[in-house]
Amino acid sequence: MYNSYELNESVRRALDLYSQSLIKVAFTYLKNIADAEEVTQEVFLAYLQKRPVFENNEHEKAWLIRTTINKSKNMLKTGWFKSRNPVPEDLSYLPKEENEVLQAVLALDKKYRIPIHLHYYEGYSIQEIAVIMQSKPATVGTWLARGRLILKEKIGGLDNEEICL
Amino acid sequence: MKKSVYKSAMSRVKTSEDFQEATYQKLLSEMANKPQTNTIDQKERVIMEKAKRRTVTGWTVGIAACAVLSVSLFAMNQQSPAVPNTPPTNVAAKPPIMGKVAVNIDGVISEVSADGKSFKVGNLWVEVTDQTQLGSKEPTAAKPSEDLLQKNFQVGNIVSGYTSQDVNTGKVTADVIYNNIAPQKDEAAKPPVSGKAAVNIDGTITEVSPDGKSFKVGDLWVTVTPDTQLGIKGPTAAAPSEELLQKEFKVGNIVSGFTTEDVSTGKVNATNIYNNMAPQQ
Repeated sequence: MYNSYELNESVRRALDLYSQSLIKVAFTYLKNIADAEEVTQEVFLAYLQKRPVFENNEHEKAWLIRTTINKSKNMLKTGWFKSRNPVPEDLSYLPKEENEVLQAVLALDKKYRIPIHLHYYEGYSIQEIAVIMQSKPATVGTWLARGRLILKEKIGGLDNEEICL
Repeated sequence: MKKSVYKSAMSRVKTSEDFQEATYQKLLSEMANKPQTNTIDQKERVIMEKAKRRTVTGWTVGIAACAVLSVSLFAMNQQSPAVPNTPPTNVAAKPPIMGKVAVNIDGVISEVSADGKSFKVGNLWVEVTDQTQLGSKEPTAAKPSEDLLQKNFQVGNIVSGYTSQDVNTGKVTADVIYNNIAPQKDEAAKPPVSGKAAVNIDGTITEVSPDGKSFKVGDLWVTVTPDTQLGIKGPTAAAPSEELLQKEFKVGNIVSGFTTEDVSTGKVNATNIYNNMAPQQ
């Protein structure tokens, strides 16, 4: 039987470093904190079971985000998730502007949501997002541009934002 | 929207305060359960292996039993007496020889009552009444004859019959008397009628060699050499006669014999020639 000392150190470290980021990625996908936390737990469980070898911390984080996206997609496909009618996450505790922006981003199609989140929250470049999402950089650039355009129409922002390719 | 607004908003989104601790505990419990799962797998594997072993054992025993039966049947067929070929039409004309009747009176009459209607077989007194059926009326039974069913029961006769009564009482009334055969007086003089000889040359001669020492039966050329034994010399064999064993092998003659050589080669030397009979006119 294992004990806490035998728990892989890298898993513990990853849990400390990346859990919040992964919850936010999953939340961007699922729009629900409870579901996001459940998915994140599954991600760390997979991390523990598979024990992948990483080149560096960035590689490790990218793998965790990729796994979070995949598990979030899987949860979206499940019958029980589709059949339920959840109460929207209460974000009223956020300042008004932040609440509006966040609601606007969550209202985007998920193919725009994730690149927007990874770029504006995690600070990833288009190339990095392309690697994580296993897509072409040009495609990611298009998703970002379209997402920003929709957001601009809704909340009128992003005038001064630039996307570095 | 400014980049900082979204980042700030997302940063403020509340998550469970004990998420890390709860996740950590869950991972611990998952790891703790893992060895148990392995144990269960091993148990299941052992059970499955036992089940497989039982299945394999069952099949092995079954196949072995079938093999033993096959070998036994083959051996019995090998030991069965050689039966000379007979035309198929004769077989069709013959009545079926199989049949069975209930018999619980069987043996030699050791004593007969004064009126001649009762006799003793072993320790059993059997009474024959007007109700007693004489002879077998089964469809496959032989035709009634004086030889098989004599009218009088005499000491020494061989009887067989059936009674529905309890033979343990020592005295019964016969329901059926199938046979009442008088003992054969010249039995010792008669030779036994059964016997067997190995035969693998059998049929009608279709061709004879110019020297007259070889003949063809079916697809097999058979050569008669000086070493070939002519006739049957067994104790039960019939006395040699010109009729059964002609000196010359002629086309149309019916021959039977035996060779130790492989008949599938198409040409053999005869070890024995039992019969060489001219076709009946």
